[in-house]
Amino acid sequence: MVTKTEETQLNRLESQVEHGGGGVWEYLCLVRKLKVRRSDKVLKHGLSILNDPKKRSSLGPDEWTLYEQVAVAAMDCQCLDVAKDCINVLHKRFPDSKRVGRLEAMLFEAKGSWEEAEKAYASLLEDNSLDPVIHKRRVALAKAQGNMLMAVECLNKYLNIFMADYDAWRELAEIYISLQMYKQAAFCYEELVLSQPTVPLYHLAYADVLYTLGGLENLQTARKYYSSTIDLTGGKNNRALFGICLCTSAIAQLTKGRNKEDKDSPDLSSLAAAALEKVYKQGASDKLPILTLALKNLRVSS
Amino acid sequence: MAEDLVLDTAIRDWVLIPLSVVMVLIGILRHFVSKLMRSSQVPDPKIVKEGQVIVRARNLRAGANFIPPKAFRARRVYFSNEENGLLFVPKGQAQNAQAQMFSDPNMAMDMMKKNLSMIIPQTLTFAWVNFFFSGFVAAKIPFPLTQRFRSMLQNGIDLSTVDVSYVSSRSWYFLNLFGLRGLFSLILGEENATDDTQRMMQMSGFGFDPSKILCL
Repeated sequence: MVTKTEETQLNRLESQVEHGGGGVWEYLCLVRKLKVRRSDKVLKHGLSILNDPKKRSSLGPDEWTLYEQVAVAAMDCQCLDVAKDCINVLHKRFPDSKRVGRLEAMLFEAKGSWEEAEKAYASLLEDNSLDPVIHKRRVALAKAQGNMLMAVECLNKYLNIFMADYDAWRELAEIYISLQMYKQAAFCYEELVLSQPTVPLYHLAYADVLYTLGGLENLQTARKYYSSTIDLTGGKNNRALFGICLCTSAIAQLTKGRNKEDKDSPDLSSLAAAALEKVYKQGASDKLPILTLALKNLRVSS
Repeated sequence: MAEDLVLDTAIRDWVLIPLSVVMVLIGILRHFVSKLMRSSQVPDPKIVKEGQVIVRARNLRAGANFIPPKAFRARRVYFSNEENGLLFVPKGQAQNAQAQMFSDPNMAMDMMKKNLSMIIPQTLTFAWVNFFFSGFVAAKIPFPLTQRFRSMLQNGIDLSTVDVSYVSSRSWYFLNLFGLRGLFSLILGEENATDDTQRMMQMSGFGFDPSKILCL
């Protein structure tokens, strides 16, 4: 997670570097530390250091770190020649390094020669079966080939060991949604909610999945999670407001004819509808009639 | 008491400066020696997994109210059922940490290496300082201090009449030992400064008192 102060610092340094104000190395260090993806900038400024022998040698042993960083950035920008040069330099310096081996495998991946990349990763995993980066690269490789089931399998294998890696859970949830396996996706979102209970986005995504799954129980739970999203965002999330309206109308359809046991639902949905109307009135008053029509169709705005 | 002691300039040239220089050099030397001896340990998949399981279980406990009851129950069973639950350890099989430490020679070896690289040079330098420079005043700090600092600054001199702002040579050694951290982090880079003080504090259980170390 990048905090606000770190981000402002990064942006300040970036604009300073862009205007030739120096501090390039500090900027690159910060990018590396925060793990942000600004490959084009890294490539441009990193190369400016690497191509200048005086600046390069003044880095000392950090020079090799920079080579690695620039190589990865270059692969991200599809400058494969630059990446290749960097990797060759690193290979000459560290002939047996696993880390360089990883870069070489990534180069195969960037070129699109999947089989060679797969082979390289497999041999790297044999030496060190606990390298999380390689596991993740394999998932990315499977995804790049469009082989989602393979990606799921790799991710599951990874999560079996590193089960506290919540970014991986999130990735898995998104893959499951793309495969329309909503039950599994719901499980992943439960994990995410457990890990960071105060992030409203996970509540929202979980509610979406539950709503998609359908069924009375799931819809009721989905409504709860839409409500908690609203609670956590301070009422600023329109998607959750719409979600509540949709859930309520779906529940009403399912329980039609039966005696109504939830008493709070009309209240909740009319509140959500009122909040939506207020937001539209403030932000986009010309769309207000469309909203009223839609809400009327859902029979929630009384 | 009121009269100033006059310190020989030879003390400065032959005690104060050499002592500091030697301390710095030893610190650098030790850094490289410990770098040489450090073995890259391959993490055991079982231990890595255990740590991750515990993190996840802790999250489950902390956030139990945030997921539906059904989902919580499913997870609880997954973690703690008696057949193949991840957190279930059959009775009598639980290893205590001590036994595990001794059963794994690598771990003991690592600890010994760490301790050796710290203790041996320290005892040697301390003996060296004690042998050559014990019992005289080596420096004077330019501001007065209260009596409480006597045990810190005048170790090895048992005179209660000397003003506290005089520093004995043995105390100078200790001041160097604990005060050079900043310098090392400048010379050797941020992370790999020899963190003597921290290790020392860990060993002596946080309460750190130079006079206690002297009694070793």
